[in-house]
Amino acid sequence: MGDDNLRFFLDSLNEITHFRNSAAEVSIEANPESFTDAFATAAIESGCNRLSLGVQSFQPNILQAYDRVHSADEAKRAFYSARKAGFSRINLDFIYAFPGQDPKQWEADLQEAARLDPEHLSCYELAYEPGTALTKLKQAGRWEPEDEDVCQALFESTENWLSGLGYTRYEISNYAKPREECLHNLASWRSLDYIGLGTGAASWRNGIRSKNILDPRVYQKRPFEQSESEARLPEEALFDLMLMGLRLPQQGVSRKRALRQTGLDPAEYWCELFNQFKSNGWLEIKADCIRTTPRGLLLLDTILGQMLPEV
Amino acid sequence: MPKNYPTERIRNFSIIAHIDHGKSTLADRFLDIATPGDGRKKQEQRLDSMDLERERGITIKAAAVSLELKIKGQDYLLNLIDTPGHVDFAYEVEKSLQACEGALLLIDAAQGIQAQTVANAMLALEQDMEVMPVFNKIDLPHARPDEIAQELEHVLLLESEGVLHCSAKTGKGVPAIIDEIVERIPAPKGDPKAPLRALIFDAAYDEYRGVIVYLRIVDGIIRKRDLVHMIGADANYEVLELGRYTPEPKPCDELHPGEVGYLISNIKELGDIRVGDTITVNKGERAEVLAGYREPQPMVWCGIYPVQSKDFEDLRTALDTLKLNDSSIIFEPETSEALGFGFRCGFLGLLHMEIAQERLERESGIDIVQTAPTVPYQILLTDGTTRDIHRPGDLPDPTQYNEVREPIVTSHILVPTDCIGPIMSLCSERRGVFLKQEHLSANRVMLTWDLPLAEVIYDFYDKLKSGTKGYGTMNFDEPRFFAANLVKMRILVNEVEADALSVICHADDAQRRGRAVLQVLRKEIPRHQFKVPLQAAVGGKILARETISALSKNVTAKCYGGDITRKRKLLEKQKEGKKRMKSIGSVEVPQKAFLAVLRTD
Ligand SMILES: Nc1nc2c(ncn2[C@@H]2O[C@H](COP(=O)(O)OP(=O)(O)OP(=O)(O)O)[C@@H](O)[C@H]2O)c(=O)[nH]1
Ligand SMILES: [Mg+2]
Repeated sequence: MGDDNLRFFLDSLNEITHFRNSAAEVSIEANPESFTDAFATAAIESGCNRLSLGVQSFQPNILQAYDRVHSADEAKRAFYSARKAGFSRINLDFIYAFPGQDPKQWEADLQEAARLDPEHLSCYELAYEPGTALTKLKQAGRWEPEDEDVCQALFESTENWLSGLGYTRYEISNYAKPREECLHNLASWRSLDYIGLGTGAASWRNGIRSKNILDPRVYQKRPFEQSESEARLPEEALFDLMLMGLRLPQQGVSRKRALRQTGLDPAEYWCELFNQFKSNGWLEIKADCIRTTPRGLLLLDTILGQMLPEV
Repeated sequence: MPKNYPTERIRNFSIIAHIDHGKSTLADRFLDIATPGDGRKKQEQRLDSMDLERERGITIKAAAVSLELKIKGQDYLLNLIDTPGHVDFAYEVEKSLQACEGALLLIDAAQGIQAQTVANAMLALEQDMEVMPVFNKIDLPHARPDEIAQELEHVLLLESEGVLHCSAKTGKGVPAIIDEIVERIPAPKGDPKAPLRALIFDAAYDEYRGVIVYLRIVDGIIRKRDLVHMIGADANYEVLELGRYTPEPKPCDELHPGEVGYLISNIKELGDIRVGDTITVNKGERAEVLAGYREPQPMVWCGIYPVQSKDFEDLRTALDTLKLNDSSIIFEPETSEALGFGFRCGFLGLLHMEIAQERLERESGIDIVQTAPTVPYQILLTDGTTRDIHRPGDLPDPTQYNEVREPIVTSHILVPTDCIGPIMSLCSERRGVFLKQEHLSANRVMLTWDLPLAEVIYDFYDKLKSGTKGYGTMNFDEPRFFAANLVKMRILVNEVEADALSVICHADDAQRRGRAVLQVLRKEIPRHQFKVPLQAAVGGKILARETISALSKNVTAKCYGGDITRKRKLLEKQKEGKKRMKSIGSVEVPQKAFLAVLRTD
């Protein structure tokens, strides 16, 4: 998107929503190579106040393996452009656990990132999502993922290194300086309502999960129609609430809010299972909240798998 | 096709050949000539009607079809059976030939005589029937009919003078084949006035109509509404429908001697129909039993278990139904400590096993677990008696037997002359004993070796292919049993013996095999919340160890608002997958792991 287009788009959005007067956070995502000074200025002037930059890595070999067209220098240049234009809240996206990656190299990346002093860092372990090129290579036996034990060590040291640099892990892959958490993502991890606009965007409102039509040509004609829409029963909504909320190791899930949103208290609903999780050292059940221990956080998918209702 | 034909106007023949030499394609051309207007059926290999046959592009089951043709002004009924070429289905060929007076021996004019050309030709010649060689694929630029004519005389001792040439692809030369069939293949014998005798050569199960019986009439006439008697099964039925396959079923009122067709009697009792049984009349003069078929001798055995133990009875019905349509399968109930109640099943080869398992799952919808296949063994007990062993777990304590005997097969391997070296070394590596070497033509030889079946059955064929740039083929005879230094290798998963994973192997090879098996298992068994030690042992001696470390991390890195539904579905799928695993002690083992034990070389 060029800067003119951005201005036109956000001006129009403002006419409909008046977000410039009301929004607590207006976040924009960009890749370093296309984030120019002009674009940065356009973004600020049209009302954005937070930027998320897809840096991924400072290592040339990894950037190349991941098909990124930008260099480490370009990423830094984009960062400075943003600061210069007036962005006071910036996030940098990183990926780690490339097969054979030296942990020291990853630590160096983080140190270098911290020297830029962003407010927020997202650090994702390299994932093998169904359908991606890497997953296909892996299935064909042509790509050996990093050893699980190494991944675990990296997951833990990432937190250690970053907390030494002043960032707190507030979600599995997200780190922030005090009060710099990403608000709109927090809202979805807390299962608060949200509306998605645009093709394929997801919404969660009044107990209904829905997705907009993905094909842009069809979407244009029928923007209010959904490609998927599912009313969640209280038990199901409760499960979703845990699925998202347990990703927050500090806040966890508020029992009071769960009760308010679904009519169910998770600690009662999964009473037996949670006792087991507690004795495994995976969960902490307090009067006001439920959250994972550091070990439980590492095993979150195992925990959730056992919480799934029997079908 | 309502009318009946006198025997002199009937010809029954099978098309036999090595795999892919064009049998089913030639059958298409015959169908084109018999039913020229049938343009809507323009798909290829029409007689390969099973989904699995179409997916894999090979014939798995013999298929019979009746063709009505006018030849030299006369009406004829030609019953042809298209047979499979793959070794594992040789039993189908054998059964088909028994219903015929002649065979077309098809030979790919580019590839020449191959191992199954020889084996199938021998089957036909042993039955003393007319064998008509035909060279196919003469449209190929590298066809070399002259050289093959030489091989034909040399190897099969068949007259090559005047052998017909055709292209099943273009149809060239096909009408001449039909004329020659009528000339050379004898008409069936059979007395229409004698008491009814019909051979059941195949059967299938139809949910609505019961068992469909495929029969060939030998003597007498069978009519609609007749009361008939299945001699072997001692069962009586009324004939509700008779007909022929064209290949679509076409009902008719009678079938006469020499004719081939189907019978429907609303038969729901699967045990009443046995392939090879004789049908006669219920009342009046009953006929003598026909020769029937020899019992097939399984080359590989494996355990088949329902994933959900409640499906055990359904699995039995599914196996009965499958056996109706594939009489070469043998099964008996067995129990395994690890897997519960299931069946020990015998097959004619690994492809046969794979196909049968896939048919079972598709046709019954039951999820099954299959254990690693094994060849049969024989043991000589200390009391002097012998016992057959169909699963490694059944090998008793070494103090209870004097020797273990393994199956040895005499193998005929056809290779180009310049590949002799590597194939000779392959055979000797596999503990083979060299018997002889014969030249088929200037640049092809047949090597004969005695080889342990266990060494042949798994990847020998792949090695043979890669050692001969794809030109090598092989065939082997029925096994004979000889004593060998064999041991049972036990596999322990988290200290619990997994009987379904144990293997019998040569003592010298046990350590290597043990390590290889554990390495595969370590990859296939998912991590658990605890450490899982794996051990391979012979007797009390541990030969190899591996450890699956405990699951310490299982968390999704990215999950935002739009990912919830997908994430939840993924968790559900994983949970479903877990249900499909079998537990050995407290360890959940996926189906793949049981088969992985095979892929260890
Ligand atoms: N060029 C050429 N190809 C042919 C001819 N006949 C058959 N083919 C091809 O050879 C392949 C095998 O043909 P099939 O008819 O399936 O062979 P088959 O002998 O029935 O094989 P199985 O039943 O699996 O043993 C197919 O790709 C055919 O198209 C021919 O006369 N000329
Ligand atoms: Mg075929």
